Amino acid sequence: MSEPVQQAPSWGPIRREECRGILVFAECLGGTVSEESLQLLTPAKMIAEKLQNEITVALFGHQISQLAREPFSYGADRVVLVDDPKLVTYCPNVYGSALVQLVRREKPELLLIAGTLRGREMAPYVANVLETGITADCTGFDVDETTKDVLQIRPPFGATMLAYIRTPKHRPQMATVRPNVFQLPLRDESRKGKVVAEKGIDIPQPSIEFVSSEEVMKDQVAIEKAQVVVSGGKGIGSRDGFGMVEQLASEFRGVVAGSRKAVDAGWLGHERQVGQTGKTIKPTLYVALGISGSAQHIFGIREARVVVAVNVDPNAPIFESADYGIVGDYRAIVPAIIDEVKRSKPRA
Amino acid sequence: MRDTPANIIVGVKWVPNTTVVNVDPVTGTLIREGVPSIINPHDLNAVELALRLREKYGGTITAMAMSPPAAKSGLEFLIGMGVDRGVLVTDRAFAAADTFATSYVLAKAIEKLFPVDVIIFGQETIDSSTSHIGAQVASWLDLPYIYYVTEAEILERARRVRVKRSLEKQTDVYELPMPCILVSLMKSNTPRAVRMSNKLRAKLEKPIEVWTNETLRLDSTRTGLRGSPTLVSRSIPTPSVPRKKRRFDGREDPAGAARWLLDNLTKEGIV
Repeated sequence: MSEPVQQAPSWGPIRREECRGILVFAECLGGTVSEESLQLLTPAKMIAEKLQNEITVALFGHQISQLAREPFSYGADRVVLVDDPKLVTYCPNVYGSALVQLVRREKPELLLIAGTLRGREMAPYVANVLETGITADCTGFDVDETTKDVLQIRPPFGATMLAYIRTPKHRPQMATVRPNVFQLPLRDESRKGKVVAEKGIDIPQPSIEFVSSEEVMKDQVAIEKAQVVVSGGKGIGSRDGFGMVEQLASEFRGVVAGSRKAVDAGWLGHERQVGQTGKTIKPTLYVALGISGSAQHIFGIREARVVVAVNVDPNAPIFESADYGIVGDYRAIVPAIIDEVKRSKPRA
Repeated sequence: MRDTPANIIVGVKWVPNTTVVNVDPVTGTLIREGVPSIINPHDLNAVELALRLREKYGGTITAMAMSPPAAKSGLEFLIGMGVDRGVLVTDRAFAAADTFATSYVLAKAIEKLFPVDVIIFGQETIDSSTSHIGAQVASWLDLPYIYYVTEAEILERARRVRVKRSLEKQTDVYELPMPCILVSLMKSNTPRAVRMSNKLRAKLEKPIEVWTNETLRLDSTRTGLRGSPTLVSRSIPTPSVPRKKRRFDGREDPAGAARWLLDNLTKEGIV
């Protein structure tokens, strides 16, 4: 017995011709506008210049008017405040439906969302409800000369490739952006703009209930904020081996991180993983100990200023992505480096 | 007593098991021929979460993949792991879809299995790493959802699921009414080992059901490449960052290597 063909819902109601401008959704759950969200102003400004567009930043939360001027210092032209007690705690579909409504009113050409854990949870829901396309975890943008579509650049297939993705017909174009790939724009406190309090949004009652929250990592420097990161891989051999990684990190006043293999082995937590399925970091100095250097790992250290690698295997691919490579066993090399740092310190 | 048996669906993907995959230079899409594939490793954590729920509350687990026909062996592997039923959604009309069109087909296929209590997905796939599907299926089915789940328990009377989810610096507890969608955290719930004998028995006892568009009857403008709002206009190998690539062989002379490094770091203005 055959069933009737399912009726396809109509394509999204936002027509391409109606759309103007760039909308940046900014997280402000901790009483500040998140740095990852403000980083979005860097690609937004580049795209806005090419398309002769203005940039609107949307702030969601409750009693957030004191944050309203912050985005102007980083390049926003306009700020929209969506202020509601229901936005105090975050639930993906509540924040998502509020953003969908805002987008239907604003009709931006492009919607950017920081690719934080929450951003990547909420954004695909928003895209689907708007019946438009979305590109995840973008690391670059450009504008197609002919179509004026935004080219959304991302690294699929274990970061070995960069794909240039376009949304030819549907609007808004949508992307989540990988944190720490873009620098914060220079702060300019003299910049001003228009603040709009958006009252026309009906925030739904959450269907899911937020019960509680517990902080699990206090007093730890996040690896994405550290100036020096010393990282260990499979070649460290054991959890005990990380003692030496820690010693070197403390000598350089840095933090400890690791490769996927080290994290999978249980030698350190996932929040310290560098690479595509971990974090992109941007330290001044990155030291890779016993890390072979897969494409996924190298992807996470593209923004590091100086990369040092220590590996017993002279053919390890990490040496192709390092400024200073030392062939040797970390068990011999690291103590020698520590001695040398100690010796040079009194002079400094 | 198990008075809250749960009907669970786990969505999984069949992915190339190597990171060195080729991309068609003309279409910019993935060339699957010749690349051995596996069930996406992060989906095994989702299957494990489902198995733990079933152990506690009873019920059945259906694993569903929208993938090429070869994914059948992946679903057989999951039956060997303990899943009750395998559904392979496969049709040329579904191929080359972006996440929007993929989630549409999955949602329609999941709908055929209703009533369902909990739908679980892995956090992301190793080939495309989007993390989109859970939220997108939630939107098509209009269901509540939550990501990064590490633990789940079914609250019996209320028909609710209480989950722990892990964000970077905090652990949150949420309650969702059933049916709902959970996306399991990448490294949580380490998947159990599968015995070869289980895998073989699974193949004989629980054949994988194959659903094509004959089964789903979806409008072909909503599936595959045609139903995808995004398109890959081109792909290039990731350009490398220029590095100095200077080298010191420290195997015979660790102290010399250390001096060489510190000299250079001093010149760089780092130490």
